[in-house]
This record gives sequence, C-alpha cells and structure tokens, in this order.
Amino acid sequence: MVISKKEKTHKIKKINSKKKLFWIYLFILPSLIIFITFYLVPIITVFFTSFTKWDGFNSPQFVGIKNYIKLFKNDAFLISLKNLIAWSVLAMTVHVGFGTLVAFILYKKPFGWKFTRTVFMIPNVISVAAWAMIYKFFFHNDIGILNNLIRFVNPSFNVKWFYQSPYAFWAITLTWVFYAVVVTLIVLGDLMAIPSDIHEAAKIDGASSWQTTLKINLPLCRNAIGTGVICSVTARIAMYESIILTTAGGPGDDTMNIPVILVNSLLDYRYGYANTSGVIMFVIGMITLLIVNKVFRMNDSIY
Amino acid sequence: MNKTKKILSKIFTYVVIVFTIIVSTFPIIWVIISSFKTNGEILSSPFSLPSSINFDAYMYLFEKYDFLTYAINSILITSVATLGSLIIYALGAYVIAKYDFPGKNLFYVLFTLTLLVPAHSRTQPIFSLIMKLNLYNTREALMLVYLSGGMAMSMFILKSTFMAIPKSFDEAASIEGAGFFKVFYKINLPLAKNGLLTAGVLMFLANWNEYYYASLLTTSTQNRTLPVVMLLFNEAFSYDYTLTFAALVIVALPGIIIYSIAQEQVQESLASSGIKG
Repeated sequence: MVISKKEKTHKIKKINSKKKLFWIYLFILPSLIIFITFYLVPIITVFFTSFTKWDGFNSPQFVGIKNYIKLFKNDAFLISLKNLIAWSVLAMTVHVGFGTLVAFILYKKPFGWKFTRTVFMIPNVISVAAWAMIYKFFFHNDIGILNNLIRFVNPSFNVKWFYQSPYAFWAITLTWVFYAVVVTLIVLGDLMAIPSDIHEAAKIDGASSWQTTLKINLPLCRNAIGTGVICSVTARIAMYESIILTTAGGPGDDTMNIPVILVNSLLDYRYGYANTSGVIMFVIGMITLLIVNKVFRMNDSIY
Repeated sequence: MNKTKKILSKIFTYVVIVFTIIVSTFPIIWVIISSFKTNGEILSSPFSLPSSINFDAYMYLFEKYDFLTYAINSILITSVATLGSLIIYALGAYVIAKYDFPGKNLFYVLFTLTLLVPAHSRTQPIFSLIMKLNLYNTREALMLVYLSGGMAMSMFILKSTFMAIPKSFDEAASIEGAGFFKVFYKINLPLAKNGLLTAGVLMFLANWNEYYYASLLTTSTQNRTLPVVMLLFNEAFSYDYTLTFAALVIVALPGIIIYSIAQEQVQESLASSGIKG
C-alpha cells in the first residue's frame, strides 16, 4: 500500500496532536483532582447528607426535610438570618459605598494616594483571628482606646461592647465595615481602564467633573462594584473568626451567624444537621450571585 | 463660588484619606506600642507611650510558650501548601490559557466557581476526609486542605498572565524542537514571573493567616500554627495584656512584612487581571 505524502503528514500531525492532548490533560489533572476532592465530592456529600440523620460513625439515615424544619425552627438560626440580612445591607451600602468612594478619590491621584492604597490593605493581610482580638481590646471597657476616648467627653460612659445587647452587633460590624480595600482595588482598576477619549468627549460636551464622575465613571465601573458586592456579601455569609473569638455568638444569640451554628453542630456529631446549614449557606451565596448579576447587568458588555 | 467648591472638595478628599489611613493603621500601631508597656501601664493610661522599650514579653513567649514551634509549623505548612498549589494551578491555568481542548471551558468555569463556595460549608466532608486519611492533628492535614484554598483566584491571575505571553514564542520554540513540557518550563514559566509572584503571595498570606481549619483539624501544640494561638490567649491569658499584645504582634507582623515587600506587584495584578477574570 502506498501512502500519499499528504496522508503521511496528516498522520504525523494526528500523532502529534494526540501526544499534545496527553500533555494537556496531564497538566490539568492535578487541578482536577483538587477540585473533585475538595469541592465536588464535599458539595455532593453536604447536599445529600443534609437530608439524613448522621453522627459520622454509623451510616446516615434518611429523614427527609426534617433537618431543614428543625433548622428553621431554631431561634439561633432565625437570628442568624436576620443578622445576615442586616450585615448584607450594611455590606452593600456602607462597605461597598466606602470602598467605591475611596477608589474615586484615589483615582484623582491626590497627594499620598499610593500610600493610602498601600496601608488600606494592611487589615486584609493580618489574620482575621488576630484582627478580631485586636478589636476586642480596642473596644475593651477598661483598657480600650474607644471607651477611653469617649470618656474624655462623657466620663460616666461604660459599655462592654462585645458583651452587651445591642452594642455587640455593632461592635462586630465595626470589625469589617470600613475595611473595603478589595472593593477599592477592583473599582480603581476599572476606573483606570476607562479610555481617555470618553473623558475628552465629555469635556467637549461641557460636562463638569462632578457630572463626569456621576454620569460616566460610576456606570462604567458597575461590574467592579457588582463584584465588590458579591465578594463582601459572601464574606458576611462565611463570617466566623471575628464572631467566635469576640462574642461567640452572644450575648444570648445576638451575634449568631450560620457558620457558628454549623461548627457547633459538627462538634456535637450532628453531621446531617451541620450540612443542612452548609446547604443554606451555599444557596444564599448562589441567590446573591444571581440577584447581583441581574441588578448590575453584569453579563452585558460595557463598551 | 467655584473656588469654595474646589476647597470644599479638597477638604472632603483629605478627610476621607486621613480617615482611611487611621482606621487601617491605628489599631495595629496601638497594639505594637502596648506590647512594650507593662500590664499596669496598659491599665492606667491607654494612650501613653511605654516607659521603656524592652522585648521581655516577646522573649518570654518564645521561651515559655512554644512560639518557636508555632512559628516553625506556620512557615512549614504555609510554604509547602503555597508552593504545591502554585505548581498545580500554574499547570492547569497554562493549558487553559494556551490550548484548545475538549472540556476546556467547563474546567475553567468549574475551577473559578469555587470562589463562591463558602469555605465553611465544606467543613464536614473535609473533616471526615482528614479523619479517614488518618491525618487528624497533623501538619500534613493542613498542608493538604490549604492546597485547595486559592483555586479560583490563582486561576484568574495565572490564566491572564499566561494569555499575555505571545503564542509566537511557543511556536518558535516548537520549531526549534522543544517539546510540550520544555515550552512550558523554559519559555512560559520564566515569563509568567509576575503573575506567579502575585498568586503566590496572596495564597501565602491566606494560608499564613488561616484560622478556621487550623483550629478544627489540629489539637496539640506541636502541630498548631500561629493564628490558632489566639484561641489560647482568648481564654488563659486574657488578663496578661502585655503578653497578649506581644502575641498579637508576632501573629500579625509577618503578614504585613511579606505584603509590604511585594505590595506594588500585588496591587497592580489585583487591579488589572483582577478577581473578575
């Protein structure tokens, strides 16, 4: 049999591309193993066992939606939901708003803007656990800075921030609400990417700098702001260290959050129940993503 | 009219800037200063400077409270996990960025969607996995779990880094006879230095600071990392303020130092290649 030259090169190419595919999948394999082991299998497990009674030793027993009913009847969980809504609203308004404001100010490159951008990151590179402890002392009634400052004005001021209702909720809130450097960085990135001819055109049309900011820059970085909202709300769902090391969910259940419930039930060997709260966390995260995507029209292209 | 407006906007700008700097630095500066004061000084005058600078509290922590063990554990676990995940995600991101193959988009979407899975919701399966592997209360357990930490973010950063390297470089190397691995190792990896550094630093910081799984999966001194020490100080030493503040500084300072060394690079990459992909 005679093989034409064309067929021969074709064959070599095919062998080459087969070899290439082998390499490609070899390269992707480690990432895939990590994904399956630490994400896919856990998520599937969490979902299915949330419908079971399971202590982790004996095999899980199917109980239908009993865990969900129990969870929604649990006062601590209902307070968690209420807290999560309040914290999410604060995240979307104060937190993202402040981050965006700082981004717009730094965009004008005032004196010290690089320094500000650098130090704004510091709270984010410190362990959340350490940061929670720092705030615990910062708000300490005897040795803390805050109360001693207030006492300059009002000498009889005595509040145990992390131990008194309703202050505990606000004390927890203050440990994160102004630390919006991630929002600032991504919004600043989008602002800097705006083509200069858009600004020139606005100037020719006689837009004031205030109008340019509000009518042009703000809508153009809505993707970054949307990403900021998603990041900060998912961080609220996962908030654990800053609660467990300060109030541990108290006073009463004032500062409860879903991860605290999850860990408590895990330590009680109620795995099915723990995973029910895991599912709820996951679902709330997905709902947030969908809503933000819709509100900020994040799938539409900007330019 | 226009002038007052300008002055007002300038005042507003600097009020925001000064506020941002103060909320970001003041708490940690206060903790550092307080760690040099005596317990009595901390209690009586929270605003004063220390009467003398000495490192007694720090020495004490290293001599009496196994801080050396915690620090070594932190360095070891963080380094191994960061290096491991950097290699794994660099390989994955490289082929996703540079080649077409069946399943490519699916892999990328799945890998980056992990950003939205709350770390705590996976607790039980990971806890059980570590138990099953007989790794509970070992340093290897944390190394393994931390491998999965920065998946989405590293994929974003590394993919855009590799995409920015011109394909003509690869073709030129191929023509000269370089194989698949050589093209990656000799051409692309050196050119992706900035992205690798950014992803590496971010993952290093996240692993260094990780508290949740560290507190859950380890129980004994010889396997615990620095952030978990906070648990100890939250209970046992809550009245020795000097010691607690010194411990806080030891936990917080390495992160700040590593960040300040690499900050320019990290800021640029975060802003440009972005968490947005």
